[in-house]
Amino acid sequence: MRGRSLISINRILLTAALLILAGYFVIYGVYAVNLMQFPFDYDQGEGFELVDTILFSQGEFPYRDTDTYPFYSSNYPPLFHVIAAPLVWVFGEAYWYGRLLGFLGTLVTASAIGYAVFREGKRRDIALLAALAFLASNTIYHIGPLFRQHMTMVLFETLAVIVLAGANEIINPRRRRWVIALGLLLIVAAGYTKQLAVFTAAAALIFLFIRQPRRAILAGIGFTIVGAAIFVWLTWATDGEWWRQAIRANVNLINYDQTVGLFRLWWGLHGFLIMPALLLVLYELYFARLSIYSIWLIASLGQGALSGTWGGGDSYFATSIAAVCVLSGIFAARTLNRAWQFSDNYLSRIFIIPFRRFAPILAASGLIVPLLYIGYGRAVLHIPTQGAVFENIADVLNLEPNALNGFYDSATRIVGGYADIGHLTTQADIDAGWRIVEIVRMSDRPVLSEEAAFNLLAGRDVITNPTQLLNLSLNGLFNGDALIRMIDNQEFGAIILRAQFYPANVLQAIAVGYEPSETIPMNGFNYIILRPRASASP
Amino acid sequence: MIFSKCYTFTKRTLGVLLTVGGLLGFAAIFAVDIIDIGREGGIGPAQRIALGVCVALTLIGLSLIPLGKAQA
Repeated sequence: MRGRSLISINRILLTAALLILAGYFVIYGVYAVNLMQFPFDYDQGEGFELVDTILFSQGEFPYRDTDTYPFYSSNYPPLFHVIAAPLVWVFGEAYWYGRLLGFLGTLVTASAIGYAVFREGKRRDIALLAALAFLASNTIYHIGPLFRQHMTMVLFETLAVIVLAGANEIINPRRRRWVIALGLLLIVAAGYTKQLAVFTAAAALIFLFIRQPRRAILAGIGFTIVGAAIFVWLTWATDGEWWRQAIRANVNLINYDQTVGLFRLWWGLHGFLIMPALLLVLYELYFARLSIYSIWLIASLGQGALSGTWGGGDSYFATSIAAVCVLSGIFAARTLNRAWQFSDNYLSRIFIIPFRRFAPILAASGLIVPLLYIGYGRAVLHIPTQGAVFENIADVLNLEPNALNGFYDSATRIVGGYADIGHLTTQADIDAGWRIVEIVRMSDRPVLSEEAAFNLLAGRDVITNPTQLLNLSLNGLFNGDALIRMIDNQEFGAIILRAQFYPANVLQAIAVGYEPSETIPMNGFNYIILRPRASASP
Repeated sequence: MIFSKCYTFTKRTLGVLLTVGGLLGFAAIFAVDIIDIGREGGIGPAQRIALGVCVALTLIGLSLIPLGKAQA
């Protein structure tokens, strides 16, 4: 009777956890659809990813000399933009398909996480919880449906790890070779989507080495040859700009306070799942064989360690969140299946055998599983507080907006590097964007804009990529004389600033030659329109 | 032997590897300060974190060695 009651309680709690995480999935879908309808930059830098995509669709590289007009370049590897390039041919220059690709990529990643958990634990309910938990993370929610390449990197990383997880156990040597090759190719794809995938590459090679060093070395040689060949070709095809723009310009100092703050936030939001994930890592370390998932989680913390760099942020934890969801899901399935087995060693004699008599009581520990997911659901609470349905839910939950534009985010955004996004855009935001586009259209001279959308939609040249100029400048790789000369000569009819990410010498020249004429709020940010200063006419 | 088609790491070999790696890493991080005599400020935050990681690796390695031939 008691056992039956526990099962009933367990089922009720599991259903509650599924409903909570399914609720976040609905919010995620609404957010994604809202963003796809927004024709301007939502997150800083999306427009430049669109410009990269447009350039690839025209058969050109975005890795260019930033000391000649239009002073544009990119620091991102090409794969995501190459994948999106055919959509430029079909749909023209627009944001929605890049955001759709990002969104669909997260759905595939979540499905892969669910598949990995199901493959290990044979429980559909836990597989579904693990997949939904990934999408419910605050970090995944707010960067998933963006025209950014980061989540596509996470997609390739996740697929690679899942492919490689059981590769060593494949008996047929030919099939095993193909599976390992596929896994490593997916890692190459991840690396040429974003450089941070180097940590997953390390995890995969370490895993293969521990299981079978000879095989790992041979596979590693092939992997290195393919990766290096692409690298050399890109460097050669861009006259060295690939090396300068994507590698040398990407070396930045780490702000330790930001890194520590983001690690604490990562723990605060995902701790309910990190705990079981780490317990599974310890279990594998001392009582079973180390899986690729455990090594992946540890390696992915290296990405998190870089979150304090200029340009870094909470998105650098996305890979670790995927690993945590897989490991915690396997932990949960194994607990509910009562499938834990401890090999006989000095640790089991100290920590396990003396407590075996409590096994019947521990049977109730199955209840912990849904409670962990319910606790996680509470920790990652995020919801728009405006709009017909959301306003009512926010009222019922007694939530006040604590972020931009009517949005509640349990992350509270007190940590540097945590993205100020997640809210829904409004018609007023779209109207404000078109006002800025009109300013660009009306100018009889080029317009220097910190975001690409206004120039693209006005049919004008996109001039500079400010964050990349800053990357280059911080590494002593940006001259800037030609751009500053144009600013000094007031050759730009208007300058549009938002975050003022240009290098200091460019901002100083702007301050001398231009003055603010109006400020247009859009999407929670103030866009400052500057016009040539009469007193500084050349 | 390590390049044999049948070789796989045991808990003991992994433990030895982690212990040696942790100790060498620990020594190397200190060596940065000893070799780089002109630098001021002592051990920085990155070095402290790296030292902590090396200590953890060493302790994990030592705890794995008694597990013997169990597969890693």
